Amino acid sequence: MHKNASLTLSALIMVVSGYGIIAATAWPWKAALFPLVIGVPLFALAAAEALWILFGADPASEEARDFQLSIGKDTLRRTLAATGWIFAFFVAIVLLGFPIAIPLFVFLYLKLQGREGWGISIAITLGTWGVFYGLFDLLLHLPFPSGWLFEWFGSS
Amino acid sequence: MLEALLEGLVLVLQWKALAFMLLGILLGFWVGLLPGLGGATTLALMLPFVYTMQPVEAFAFLLGMHSVTATTGDITSVLFGVPGEAASAATVIDGYAMAKKGEAGRALGAALASSLVGALVGAVALAAAIPVVRPLVLTFGSPELLMLGLVGIAFIAALSSPGGRGMLRGFLAGALGLFLATIGQDPQAGVARYALGTLYLWQGLDLVPVLVGLFAIPEIIDLVVRGTSIASAAPAGKLSHGAFEGVKDTFRHFWLTIRCSLIGTFIGIMPGMGGAVAQWMAYGHATHSARNAEERRGFGQGDVRGVLGPGAANNSKEGGSLIPTIAFGVPGSTAMAILLGGFYLLGLVPGPDMLSKHLPVTFSMVWTIVIANVVTVIACFALLNKLARLTTVRGSLLIPVILVLVFIGSYTSNNHYGDLVVTLLFGAVGYLMVLAGWPRAPLVLGLVVGKIVENNLYISMARYEAAWLTRPVVLVLIAITVAVIVYPLFQARRRAAAARA
Amino acid sequence: MRSLLLAVLAAIPIAGLAQPTPYAGKTVTIIVGYKAGGGYDATARLLARHLPKHIPGKPTVIVQNMPGANSMIAANHVYNVAKPDGLTIGTFNRNLPVAQLTRVDGVKYDMTKFAWIGSAASECTILALRTDLPYKSVDELKKAGKPLVIGATGPGANTYDFPLLLKEFLGLNLKIVTGYQSSADIMLAIERKEVDGRAGSFTSIRPFIDRKLVRPVLRARADEPGVEQLPIDEDLAPNPRAKAIMALRSAPEIVGRPYVMHPNTPPELVKVMREAFAKAIEDKALVAEATKASMELNYVGADVAVKVMKEMLSQPKDVVDEFSKYVKFGE
Repeated sequence: MHKNASLTLSALIMVVSGYGIIAATAWPWKAALFPLVIGVPLFALAAAEALWILFGADPASEEARDFQLSIGKDTLRRTLAATGWIFAFFVAIVLLGFPIAIPLFVFLYLKLQGREGWGISIAITLGTWGVFYGLFDLLLHLPFPSGWLFEWFGSS
Repeated sequence: MLEALLEGLVLVLQWKALAFMLLGILLGFWVGLLPGLGGATTLALMLPFVYTMQPVEAFAFLLGMHSVTATTGDITSVLFGVPGEAASAATVIDGYAMAKKGEAGRALGAALASSLVGALVGAVALAAAIPVVRPLVLTFGSPELLMLGLVGIAFIAALSSPGGRGMLRGFLAGALGLFLATIGQDPQAGVARYALGTLYLWQGLDLVPVLVGLFAIPEIIDLVVRGTSIASAAPAGKLSHGAFEGVKDTFRHFWLTIRCSLIGTFIGIMPGMGGAVAQWMAYGHATHSARNAEERRGFGQGDVRGVLGPGAANNSKEGGSLIPTIAFGVPGSTAMAILLGGFYLLGLVPGPDMLSKHLPVTFSMVWTIVIANVVTVIACFALLNKLARLTTVRGSLLIPVILVLVFIGSYTSNNHYGDLVVTLLFGAVGYLMVLAGWPRAPLVLGLVVGKIVENNLYISMARYEAAWLTRPVVLVLIAITVAVIVYPLFQARRRAAAARA
Repeated sequence: MRSLLLAVLAAIPIAGLAQPTPYAGKTVTIIVGYKAGGGYDATARLLARHLPKHIPGKPTVIVQNMPGANSMIAANHVYNVAKPDGLTIGTFNRNLPVAQLTRVDGVKYDMTKFAWIGSAASECTILALRTDLPYKSVDELKKAGKPLVIGATGPGANTYDFPLLLKEFLGLNLKIVTGYQSSADIMLAIERKEVDGRAGSFTSIRPFIDRKLVRPVLRARADEPGVEQLPIDEDLAPNPRAKAIMALRSAPEIVGRPYVMHPNTPPELVKVMREAFAKAIEDKALVAEATKASMELNYVGADVAVKVMKEMLSQPKDVVDEFSKYVKFGE
């Protein structure tokens, strides 16, 4: 897992920095200098890491100064579920707008993923939505667009 | 000077000023706590209410509100792993790790106590620096700011894991951060670099969506996988070590806390360094205090020193950033820019006058910072242990709420869906990094320091050609940069030698 | 007969009173193309507080921030996405016509087609030098032996463009050092003697002039109280092409704080807004607040604004091409 993730990241960085270096060559030198000075070593470092993974001896893994992901039962399924919910929330926000997406997501998550009871699901949904609406909308007038779905149907 | 000090205190202790300060504290508490309620935006919203107040009252209100956000921002960092303010991101690393071990109360206590120490140090520095502040700031020109940026980058070495492999990954993350900082319109030729055809990326990546994605999202995924409460690694599932233990920790590591406060104050004084840098350098410095490889590995798994350092620095930088604002009319941060607007509103002209004619008003600001922080810490203390119990609540109840906070916090940076896309993208990157064992802190540091280094490099070269390298302060900073890079290597070698012996 | 006439006469004002006030009970949103805390935002919030009493129906007026791409995102939004119901006003970067003129990728608006309300202020750019330098006039500057270092933030900002044109066309010996984070940082650099001066809006430099840190030397075309005695850069231009280019750069400053609405907004609503703005800017309470905040508002009517836009966007191609060599779209 470690090695695959590290390899993926290194490959991604090589692609990104490669693109960056190529794009920078089209610019006037003042704009291109820094991206090149950083981009080239970045590419080299990523390549070094990738090579180390592929051909190097497997060290007693040096742990990063960071947390470690837990491995429990059903890890893959749960990870996919979590990712799915996060992405679904994003899609809901874009399609339906924050004011609708928030209570919808909170309620559905509590009921479907969390399998909580009706009472507590409704209570938390209302609480969250109330704070969001009262604070960010009523008080601060932050702009929350109404969601693409409404715009498509509104204009047709 | 002494009488101005006392006069300032008397000004603040009037009923009206105190009342407004308390109101500001109450507001600031929530602003810091909730990601999405940015300190700067709210200050801008409050400005109109300030029109009708007297200068001292107005500042008691604005400053009271502002100084508190740095303290309470740490609370959501510790409890949920979501930075409440951009300046509280470093607290997430060890603070949230402690929460997972069941020590949320201790982490909160440490964060708050170190915040108080930081704020006090910042205020004392502000007061003490008043005679020397103008020459001090004037000595630090673009070459010196460039070097400070490079010192910051050198801390990437400190934030990486020890050993060759660890350093490689640390520098990889740091270089990636520096590279990402080049996105946006560049100030030399006006080219919209790496905008990928979108208008959103013209101004570059905003820090908050990146932070929130990088740190909070992997933790949320992990919480779902664990299927338990946040404090799942707590022995016997009970919370241990309440808030008071955190306070004791602050005193156990007193000199570290003071040093990190000084780092924060110093970075705060430098205009243009930005509030985010101080906490990471303090965190890096805190890791230097690890006495052996075992302790070093403990950072990131819940070492209280990883909370003390950033906690102190992000408060002390506030006192520091008042200095250029008051003495020169040059705001040290967006929030300061708004406070500056408040100055003009109230007929005060920042500049030498504030340090002579209006010295009592300046001191009243110092006192406001002190009193506001003391009041906040005392008020919060009663809550800390109760707040800590949130970490024993079922994860599935908290996760949707945390996600709402994450998305709103990200969106309110630019009120643009692009913010959410950035958060999701960096959520994926953060997840991969954790899986791969790469440190995330250097990426943030690179992102934050990138523009500082690039811009000041061009200015220094254009203005001084190569002569800037020989300026005295620059030479000192070069020495510090080398020291910061070499010290971990030196430590590692010493430990290896000790192990062999 | 007479009673009928009286009845008709009496009915007219009653009919007038019965006229529906389109803004009653509504909320008007001012969209600002920048984040909270900047000059455009402060002006908008100031206006938002005082507009309601001058709009019939006394609607609520709120401010929303839509930053990004130097306010191009906000402009595109107000032009294309906002509903033309008179409830959305946009205020953005005065240099947006430059983006349109130089055909920047991503421009989805036409400055001449917006429903213009007007401009809330003119912003005159001036060049200011540190007071301890011996140069007091443009002639003295021209004779300066060594180059003067001018600090700037980046291409597209007046801090950069104004001195660049002065250097190119007036032959002033200026060395432009760019990359400063904000104009406030440049002021600090001036105090440090790292740079010798800067260009910028008069309003932002004025506190430093009052403090005697810098002294103004030259100005651009836009009129603002306080800059009258300064020589205008265009007047010193050596040839008509140079003059045209300098004028093109300064033209947006006349419309310093533009306020517009969606192109298809019903004309009667636009008229209501124009009157409301004009009255609000004269409002005593607003003037008092503005003075305290060192802001100076003066209403420039929609007709003047549209005229400036049309003039800018109908310049001949060779002028535009040469202009684009020097001036890019930026902040």
